[in-house]
Amino acid sequence: MAYHPRENWIPQNRRRVYTRRDFLQRAALLGVALPVLPSLLAACADREGGGSGDLAVGTPANPVQQPLFDDNPAIDSGLEPEDGPLKLYNWEDYINPEILPVVSEALGVEIEVATFFNEEAALAALSSGEVTYDVWFPTSQRVPVAVAAALIQPLNHEYLPNLDANVWPQLADPYYDQGSLYTVPYVTYSTGIGWRIDMVDSEDIEGQANPWDVFWNTKYAGNMGLYDSFTDTIAMALFRNGVGDPSQATEAELEAAGDALVELIELMNVRYTIDGAYSGIPEGRFGLHHAWSGDVVNSQYYWPEGADMTVARYLWPARSEGSTVNGPISNDTMAIPKGAEHPVLAHQFLDFLLDQGNSLLNFEYVGYQPPQNELTPEFLIGEGYAQDYLAAALVTPEDFEVETAWVQGPLDAETETLWSEQWTRAKSGG
Amino acid sequence: MPTNLASGAEYDTVGSKRWVWPGFAVPGIVWLLLLFLVPFYAIFAVAMGQVDPILQRVNPEWNPIYWAPEVFADAFADLFGGQLGVIALRTIAYVFIASLLCVIVGYPVAYFVSRKAGRWRWLWLLLILAPFWINYLMRMMSWVNLLSPDGQVNRWLATIAGWFSVAFTPPDWLAGSHLVVILGLVYGYIPFFILPLFASLDRIDNATLEASRDLGASPLNTFWRVTWPLSRNGVLGGLVIIMLPMFGDYYTPNLLSGSPRTTMYGNTIDQFINQTTSQGALGAALTIILMIFVAGLMAYYLITINRATRAGRE
Repeated sequence: MAYHPRENWIPQNRRRVYTRRDFLQRAALLGVALPVLPSLLAACADREGGGSGDLAVGTPANPVQQPLFDDNPAIDSGLEPEDGPLKLYNWEDYINPEILPVVSEALGVEIEVATFFNEEAALAALSSGEVTYDVWFPTSQRVPVAVAAALIQPLNHEYLPNLDANVWPQLADPYYDQGSLYTVPYVTYSTGIGWRIDMVDSEDIEGQANPWDVFWNTKYAGNMGLYDSFTDTIAMALFRNGVGDPSQATEAELEAAGDALVELIELMNVRYTIDGAYSGIPEGRFGLHHAWSGDVVNSQYYWPEGADMTVARYLWPARSEGSTVNGPISNDTMAIPKGAEHPVLAHQFLDFLLDQGNSLLNFEYVGYQPPQNELTPEFLIGEGYAQDYLAAALVTPEDFEVETAWVQGPLDAETETLWSEQWTRAKSGG
Repeated sequence: MPTNLASGAEYDTVGSKRWVWPGFAVPGIVWLLLLFLVPFYAIFAVAMGQVDPILQRVNPEWNPIYWAPEVFADAFADLFGGQLGVIALRTIAYVFIASLLCVIVGYPVAYFVSRKAGRWRWLWLLLILAPFWINYLMRMMSWVNLLSPDGQVNRWLATIAGWFSVAFTPPDWLAGSHLVVILGLVYGYIPFFILPLFASLDRIDNATLEASRDLGASPLNTFWRVTWPLSRNGVLGGLVIIMLPMFGDYYTPNLLSGSPRTTMYGNTIDQFINQTTSQGALGAALTIILMIFVAGLMAYYLITINRATRAGRE
């Protein structure tokens, strides 16, 4: 029987060894009453032994299958759906509110949506086991962590006919979860550069060997912004410095990336925002901003009345003529938390959103693109869901296969500390 | 049974009286336990926690036996000699300048409303309170719109420059200026300063001022020797109320600047807690250090007030 790695681990960094005497002294000092001592000692014993979990982290070049565990089976086929309510656990504003009544009617149950502010909060809530949700929307880089920590359950594909029928083959059998054992894809996005042609010379970006370098172009000093998101921005600085795979960056390369970001403070008067790409560019606060493709698609709703929104542009450096640098691509997923109270309904919901029409309705609001075979860039532009001058912001299935595309994996604590140190330098202004 | 009542009445009253008045403290104590001590312990537990090997996030350590205070050494190393020192000093400077501006702007306003506004006093108070009806975040967002490059403020300035035929280059207010962030803090918190000060000025008995004038003091002298000393604790109280949240503020610099030049202490905590996965302990340690720092300010306030009250009684 395969044991879950979660079942017996000790915190790795807990190096200090406590003797029983230490324990009793401290307990006495802290005024811990005797009746609770046995339980505390038991808690102590729990911390001995065990190992740490290995994550199955894939890349498009080296896809991986997530491990299955005997104590975390998928549901059986042919079950009747439960009575609701179906509980979704999602990012804020990440599902079209108009689709909820449609789902509710299709599945015949009430839908409840709870939101999380960031993935840390979501992981904390799910791993505490104190709340149960039926559907969760993790980013693809969290999938290995969610599987190893037994936060999500395997899927039964019998309930998911739309997966193979409608979804891009690259994501129906994705590199991070071969065979879609635990997840189905939700939306895709690339990370690149957004700008407006009335404030920025497109030639400084398009056709350049290193498009990322535009953020260091003093012509646009005081006019540019980057994402206030340390993984995105440190990775960007690494790409700009010619590092191909930020996950493998050495300490010296990270230091150089930190230096490059510190340089931006004086050189460019850089500002860090989270809304710069979708609302800062339309409002004219920025001519140039680090941009997620979905934010760029969404920005069409943020232009002031009467403004000419055709000045907006986007470029993904991994798919740009003449570019020699890499760029990030990723997707979010849908998964069913372990312990979901309505797993059959949850499967039905996943399949519902993998339907072409439903995912299109969701795209209309979310702006992040579902990986559907029929929803090609030509279709989306032709039907007015996206603009032709922003065609670069639409992801294609082949984008996951180009060599310059980079996917972010989970950072272990040690690496994250190094990244975080550089980020603190970049953000401290001195 | 009236006889029983008569005989036992006195004893019963004494018995219940013993608990009635302290009983009023119960809601406050419950409140303090649930909403202060428990969360505070939780912050400690996070600071002293260890990184989970799978989730790579900090597991709060509820059992003090396993507390590892090394994280405070890291935090202090960052604060003294590391990157965070600049941010801490900047935050202190911002808060002190913003508080000073609050006193300079807020004192005359509170003085006017409490002593000179006459029958329109309620209207002035209403106007001071009006911003409370709108969420702090919303008010800051409106400033972002007003101050944006083609925002209303620059349009007004351009119009005014046009009247005098002066060449005008619209300033970029939101480009990371210290002044804009400080003014944002002043704008956001000044009503909290004015209100307690108003209450304190309002309590000053007119007779004391009249006595001062009768005894030959000039209006300026009366203000300096009577009004100011009597309102000083109100100023202090107002300052405490605004300085504590200002030290933890991170939305104001985020929205009005976003530049690394104006990063405040609160932004750093936000960064460690909300952006990174594994740095939560450091964020929690920085939170505790900030709490100890502001507790020092609070203690100074309480000691001063205590001394003043005792002096008043004697």
